[in-house]
Amino acid sequence: MTTLTTAPPTAARATPGTLRLLLTLAWHRRALLLLNVAIWLLVHASPVLVGLFMKGIFDTLSGQATAALSPWAFLVLALAVDVMRIGALAGGVYAWASYWSEVILRMRRNLLAYLLTAPGSRRLPDSPSEAISRFRDDVDDIAQYLEHWVDMWGLVLFAVIALAVMFQVDPLMTALICLPLLLTLLLTNALRPHIRRVRRAMREATGRVTDFVGETFNAIQAVQGSGREEAVLAEFERRNGVRRRTALTDALLAEVFKSVNDNMVNVATGIILLIGAGAMQRGSFTVGDFALFVTFLPRLTETISFLGAMMVQHKRTGVAFERLSALLQDGGPETVVAGAELHLRHGPPPFVDPRRASEPLRSLRVEGLSARHGDGALALDDVSFELPRGSFTVVTGRVGSGKSTLVRVLMGLLPREAGAIWWNGTLVEDPASWFVPPRSAYTSQVPRLFSDTLRENVAMGRADPAHLRRAIELAVMERDVEVLHHGLETEVGSRGVRLSGGQVQRSAAARMFMREAELLVFDDLSSALDVETERQLWEGVFAQRGKVEGAAAPDGATALPCGGSTCLVVSHRRAALERADQVLVMDAGRLVARGSLREVLSHSSVLREIWGEARGEALEARPGGPTSAC
Amino acid sequence: MTTATATEPATPPPRAPSLRRYGRMLGRYLRPQWRAATALALLLLSSIGLQLLVPQILRRFIDAAGVSAAGGGGIDAAMLAAPVWWAPGGLAGLALLFMVVALLTQLLGAAATYAGAAVGWTATNALRGDLARHCLGLDLGFHKTRTAGEMIERIDGDVTALSDFFAQFSVRVLGGVLLLAGILTVLWFENVWIGAAMTLFMLLEFAVLARTREVAVPATTLEREAHAKLFGFIEERLAGIEDVRANGGGPHALHRFLVPVRTFFFHTRRAWMLRSVVWLSSYGLFVLGSLVTLGASIHLVTIGAITLGTGYMVFQYMIMLQAPIEQITQQMQHLQRAGASIGRVDELLRTQSALARDGERRLPAGPLEVHFEAVRFGYADAPPRTPPILDGIDFRLAPGRVLGLLGRTGSGKTTLTRLLFRFYDPDAGSVRLAGIPTPALDLDDLRRRVGMVTQDVQLFQASVRENLSFFDRAIPDQRLRDVLHEVGLGEWLEHLPDGLDTLVKAAGGNLSAGEAQLLAFARVFLEDPGLVILDEPSSRLDPVTERHLERCIERLLRGRTAIIIAHRLETVERADEVMILDAGRIAEHGERRRLAADPGSRYARLLAAGRGRGGLEAHPDLLELA
Repeated sequence: MTTLTTAPPTAARATPGTLRLLLTLAWHRRALLLLNVAIWLLVHASPVLVGLFMKGIFDTLSGQATAALSPWAFLVLALAVDVMRIGALAGGVYAWASYWSEVILRMRRNLLAYLLTAPGSRRLPDSPSEAISRFRDDVDDIAQYLEHWVDMWGLVLFAVIALAVMFQVDPLMTALICLPLLLTLLLTNALRPHIRRVRRAMREATGRVTDFVGETFNAIQAVQGSGREEAVLAEFERRNGVRRRTALTDALLAEVFKSVNDNMVNVATGIILLIGAGAMQRGSFTVGDFALFVTFLPRLTETISFLGAMMVQHKRTGVAFERLSALLQDGGPETVVAGAELHLRHGPPPFVDPRRASEPLRSLRVEGLSARHGDGALALDDVSFELPRGSFTVVTGRVGSGKSTLVRVLMGLLPREAGAIWWNGTLVEDPASWFVPPRSAYTSQVPRLFSDTLRENVAMGRADPAHLRRAIELAVMERDVEVLHHGLETEVGSRGVRLSGGQVQRSAAARMFMREAELLVFDDLSSALDVETERQLWEGVFAQRGKVEGAAAPDGATALPCGGSTCLVVSHRRAALERADQVLVMDAGRLVARGSLREVLSHSSVLREIWGEARGEALEARPGGPTSAC
Repeated sequence: MTTATATEPATPPPRAPSLRRYGRMLGRYLRPQWRAATALALLLLSSIGLQLLVPQILRRFIDAAGVSAAGGGGIDAAMLAAPVWWAPGGLAGLALLFMVVALLTQLLGAAATYAGAAVGWTATNALRGDLARHCLGLDLGFHKTRTAGEMIERIDGDVTALSDFFAQFSVRVLGGVLLLAGILTVLWFENVWIGAAMTLFMLLEFAVLARTREVAVPATTLEREAHAKLFGFIEERLAGIEDVRANGGGPHALHRFLVPVRTFFFHTRRAWMLRSVVWLSSYGLFVLGSLVTLGASIHLVTIGAITLGTGYMVFQYMIMLQAPIEQITQQMQHLQRAGASIGRVDELLRTQSALARDGERRLPAGPLEVHFEAVRFGYADAPPRTPPILDGIDFRLAPGRVLGLLGRTGSGKTTLTRLLFRFYDPDAGSVRLAGIPTPALDLDDLRRRVGMVTQDVQLFQASVRENLSFFDRAIPDQRLRDVLHEVGLGEWLEHLPDGLDTLVKAAGGNLSAGEAQLLAFARVFLEDPGLVILDEPSSRLDPVTERHLERCIERLLRGRTAIIIAHRLETVERADEVMILDAGRIAEHGERRRLAADPGSRYARLLAAGRGRGGLEAHPDLLELA
């Protein structure tokens, strides 16, 4: 409990405790922190004075005790304290809002920074929306505990003074009052986990209702078409019933909680009256004392309840740090509380692309690559191959055969279990931080765009307009950009919803070309492209490779527009297969065939099957499909 | 093009004062619960009565104590004479009375709050149910223009905004008003000046609160938006974590992150400050009020107009005024919002479906005959002077025959099948099933006898059983199992951890695309329809799964009439007849074999092109040529 007054920690221990982490976090803005502590000390402790003045007023009025001041003087003093307190509250809100926002923003920034830039493979423990709940709730939990620490000093000071004053007036009564107060602490702390549990159940029940409405109306055609609206309604009503029951349990518990607090105050007041009756007979207890006790009581209960909540919050904060560490995997909780400049006051300086120079790719060799799925099943089994400079390699296979896993494990997006990767003969220790521009760039199977302009999505921090034009051209996006209302400045919407599926894929391709990387990795780029567009795209890429190769000879320079002399492509489409120098056929996580298209066709039944299927390439390969139009 | 969509009420609903509309709705949904509502009222009244009693007890206590103190340190003779120490009027008796009354007040108050919540939830759930039923009955024209998120907002969001109204209006506003009235009455009787001053103070506080209440609303809206933007930014980057990392986009993303971070910081602080204006002004008034009351009491006690106990009591009543005043202003603010919600709920309930549901005839068993007679149809929301989606569609499909439907995107294929489900009625002509015009048929029966599999399989986050049966609990498990075996999902079912109870995850997370397709087939098998409409999946399935599906389709078509919307020429080879739609008209219709053999037919040319590379969409001008 004394840690807050000691010097800031200099070196973090192996697994720092919750308080040490909290202090590290709090100490980054120590002046503002101390200001907050001072203001809130004033806010929480000053009511002790008001209580004393109330006693003064009633004592002088009843004539039971002699006081130095008139009741009017006490009234003015009380007014002064209250006015001061309102001022302190206003300042306190400002100071705390500034401090609190900065603390939670710093934690969130640290989490995002680690997930997006730290070395090693990153796989979210669950869905992105589950990760968001950690970003939100766990961070809030930690900030909440910090708030407790700021509030605590004033509340404790109040309680200590109040109890001391009361003890001086009547020790027995004070001791007797403390009993129900401690009982409150026990009861409310016993209730808290139940309240939390029920509240969670209520949130879930509400989620099940809104999800159901959403799903039903998303599937309205299927629901109406099935003629089973009555059954669906019955289910809706059942879910509503569950929600009503949990909501009522929640209301009940909340009332019980409130009753415990309120009634303990009532019981304590009753004790004061009962014992006070006798004391008043003896003349040792005045009306002013009564007013004093009654003014202090609710606030004392509050303080007790607060300390109870704080104890619980300590535990929750420990859990929050654990959950955040789990999200970061190898990050550890120190990462969460690290310092980071947020540029809140004046805004961030312009972005500087931290681009490193790289050695041109001569060959990429992979040996014995193996990996497992999250559930432990073998996803990749001992895969070896080599990509020479300037080659066009297509990875193919059935759905679920491990094509995509292969390229993602290679790039360090998924963790590998065994195997080695050599870049020009250099062993790659951490593929995740190695396979980035300018060495390599990547379009994923289901590429993600971000709510921003198309330009921002493609450029991603690189500014050169000539490169941007070239990247757009290579991705066969020029026509689309012309047609879009605001061209490159078009807002693409959340996850790119305002673009068609094909446009999203080609924007992602443009983003990749914009990286000017040595190695381009396409993970099933063409799944939402029609045949003609796909053909144009590959032709562009090939023309580009020719230029790179032609120019690379004299000085080995790679600073040609959009780079990319070596391509690794996941596809089962003919347009890609026909161009391949090398075809890798995957089946059940194993590399079952490797060689030129002709060679592999002659001895791989899997490839023959895919090749055959690809012949009648979908009549309607355009994105959108028939459901969207009519 | 007149009747194809639900009609919104032509004239806007009369702008009834929201209080009256509120009252009407309150009446409709509370009447069935009049017993509970009466109990609630009784609880409330007793709790208020007791609340008023507490300061009275304290006054008598203080006055009695004061009397005894004034008596020179001794105790009043009358009090000493009381036979038992808890006798009424004695200090100890008053203390006990205080405790009992205070406890009872608190418990009755809690019970009233709970009862209010129970009544409110029952009422709002009834309203939610009514809205959902109403919306499920509206036609596709209505639903086409509304997102699922919007429906959630209108069926749950608006009603939840109203629930405060149902649950708390009575308790808080009525209770608050009664309590205020009680306090003021007591004070007026006690001392006219005090009564008048308190009344004045109350009016002042209402005025100030009414003015400041809304001060923070715009800032709070901005704060929420900033919040949503921040998490939206994070969520998008996490969802695209591989795209960001593998393209070295991390540092840039972090730099961009500083923009929502700053917005969050400033909007949050501003909203906090403005909200603090609201509660600080309320707190300031309260402090002012209590100190003024205290000052008045000091004066009146000093001149001997009232006893010390009365002074204390007045002070207590002053403190008691605070809560109901705040509650009432808060509820009035909710009422404004509830007014908007009531308006939207009303409007939704007044929206009528374009489809009359008065048909009663039922379809015969076995394969159904399909007959389109000079059908013309256009969507009601299409811009004026657009040509109809379907025009002059006239054909007959004999029971048990399979029709392959071809045509470019936008040629009207999907619309044609929607008319068969009677999602819409044609503008002209008629659609008949087994010779009966669709409006004459019982709609539920019609839709069960027509089965459809689309490429877009819609799943619920619910058990496999519920996904299969659309929550119809009357269907026995054995039947569900049989159907799953029939479509080739038997082995899959046996591997599920909880069998039919296994939960299907969001967006089919634990179901492959192929399995989802097969599940859609199972849904259709369950109904044993007489007409099947198949919108063939066009992409994203691997060859092996596709073979599974083909077996499934074969079994489904046996002994049924069918219409297949084909995206692949191979699929059409199952059809007995082929129809090519072009811009809403039948461009070609006939026996498949005959058309294939006739080199002048569009179908034959399509076949020839398909043997080359690409397909319909790669050669968009093919259909124009014919």
